[in-house]
Amino acid sequence: MTDERFSGLGAYILYAITVAMMIFILAPLLLVMAVSVSDSYFVTFPPQGFTLKWYAKVLQDRDFLEAMRLSILLALGTTVGSLLLGVPAAFALVRGNFPGLAAIKGFLLSPLIFPALVTGLALLQVLSKLGSQDARLNLLIGHVVVTSPYVIRTVVTSLQLVDENLEDAARTLGANRLRTFWRVTLPQIASGVAAGGLFAFMVSFDNYPVTMWLANSEYSPVPLILMRQLVNVFDPSVPAMSTIIILMAMVGVLLLEKLVGLRRALAA
Amino acid sequence: MTTSDDVVALSSVEAQPDARRGSRWRVYLPVGLLAIPMLAFLSYFFFYPAIGLLLSSIQTQNSQGIIGRPFTLAHYARLIHVELYARVLWNTLRISVITSLLATVLAYPVAMVMVKSRPMVTRIITLIVIAPLIVSVVVRGYGWQLILQNGPKGMLNWILMTLHIVDAPLSILYTETAVIIGSLHVFFPMMVLPLASALGKIDPNLEDAARMLGAPWWKVFLRVTLPLSMPGFVAGFTLVFSLTAGSFVIPAILGGASAIMLGNLIEQQIFVVYDWPFGAAIAVVLVGLVFVVNGISMWLLEGRRLRRPV
Repeated sequence: MTDERFSGLGAYILYAITVAMMIFILAPLLLVMAVSVSDSYFVTFPPQGFTLKWYAKVLQDRDFLEAMRLSILLALGTTVGSLLLGVPAAFALVRGNFPGLAAIKGFLLSPLIFPALVTGLALLQVLSKLGSQDARLNLLIGHVVVTSPYVIRTVVTSLQLVDENLEDAARTLGANRLRTFWRVTLPQIASGVAAGGLFAFMVSFDNYPVTMWLANSEYSPVPLILMRQLVNVFDPSVPAMSTIIILMAMVGVLLLEKLVGLRRALAA
Repeated sequence: MTTSDDVVALSSVEAQPDARRGSRWRVYLPVGLLAIPMLAFLSYFFFYPAIGLLLSSIQTQNSQGIIGRPFTLAHYARLIHVELYARVLWNTLRISVITSLLATVLAYPVAMVMVKSRPMVTRIITLIVIAPLIVSVVVRGYGWQLILQNGPKGMLNWILMTLHIVDAPLSILYTETAVIIGSLHVFFPMMVLPLASALGKIDPNLEDAARMLGAPWWKVFLRVTLPLSMPGFVAGFTLVFSLTAGSFVIPAILGGASAIMLGNLIEQQIFVVYDWPFGAAIAVVLVGLVFVVNGISMWLLEGRRLRRPV
């Protein structure tokens, strides 16, 4: 088990803390999953028996299904929107040579360091002044503001790795700009674009701090519904709902790992 | 890749032949134009609203709820002078600093193991560290609510009492400690990832050399590893601090009434009290806090003040 570079007391401390942190990270998620199949009318520890009835209850819950539909559609719309804005902007940042480029890059990435809660609040003020009543449209705008910088980051990273000689070769051989982009550039940045899109989807699906300002009673995405249930419902249907969300996230993680590799995607 | 600075410097050289400058513009300008849709979108839906919020924080709201003149700094004064609000500001600062420090201490070992282990171990640790990042914060807060539940039915209390470590159940839920535990769980990956990337860049020969010259493990860490990983630490600390300071869900679920943070206060002021200027002022203070920490971090990282020789 011990690597050559780790030895002695230092190594034991390192491994002990690492294992403890892995347990710390997994414990709440595993507990939620365990309680979701508990055959009791209240959430208790230790869980008792085994039943899938809480899943049956959740899957018949009109509010939850409605929220799920809204969240998925919203996340899809957000993905498309942030790719449409982010991919061209990433091209401009990597390939463009105009004055003020660094400042513009900083501006386009600034929603990442701005507290999302404040982004949502500020947007709510402007949208209500504009009289924009459609919560779905408002949510879409808010989510694209938060997710498009992620697309910039992943696409900029993969664009920097593109071999421009290949593009020159294609152009020399007679391909026009569009064809060169489609056949030579795009395949090389595909994983960055996919990672950006997947990020946009997941961030939108889980977003709370922007969503809480822009949703209304008619259109409430999954995180808001879940928060409401937390306060009002005490049977294991809440853990069942949570487990469904955890499993969906796991699918996302595995996709991301397959597409680009997690470390690379997040380090971008 | 040439940096943008080089290019700007080049194109401003007067001696350059006009013809070349012309062709440069013909080729490059259209690419730059591709940024315009996103620039316009963010200007209108991000920058302009932020300015609007800043403005309303120094204006007054009349009884009809309309915000306008006279300009005033009273809302900021209220945040600082009313003890109830000042305490929330103080809570937020304390929780964010403690969470970031805890995250640092615990992330170093994890990041070191992550960087130096065999590929399979690295992969598993990475997956475990990152996977929860993508699970909704509401779900993670709920998981901690179940673990920390006050009374004998909470998981932690049940374990501690079954093992006879404590006799009476602990009351951790709805305290600042619960908020710190929850925030640590949510933002831990933000510390591990930059640290791991900084540690990965350290030349292992340096550590080997220190060891061969007789330094014990803790001295190797303090004199070689720690100083060389500072950029990762600064980046991670900034991220964890900023995100914790701006959180809403974790204090709402785990903090109850006793550990309210700025985010919760803003929400109350807007949705319950309908006091927009005061809510806006708190938001501006929150942004200011985050900007100050980010500014210091950028100053440290870009000035290369951290990469002095050991």
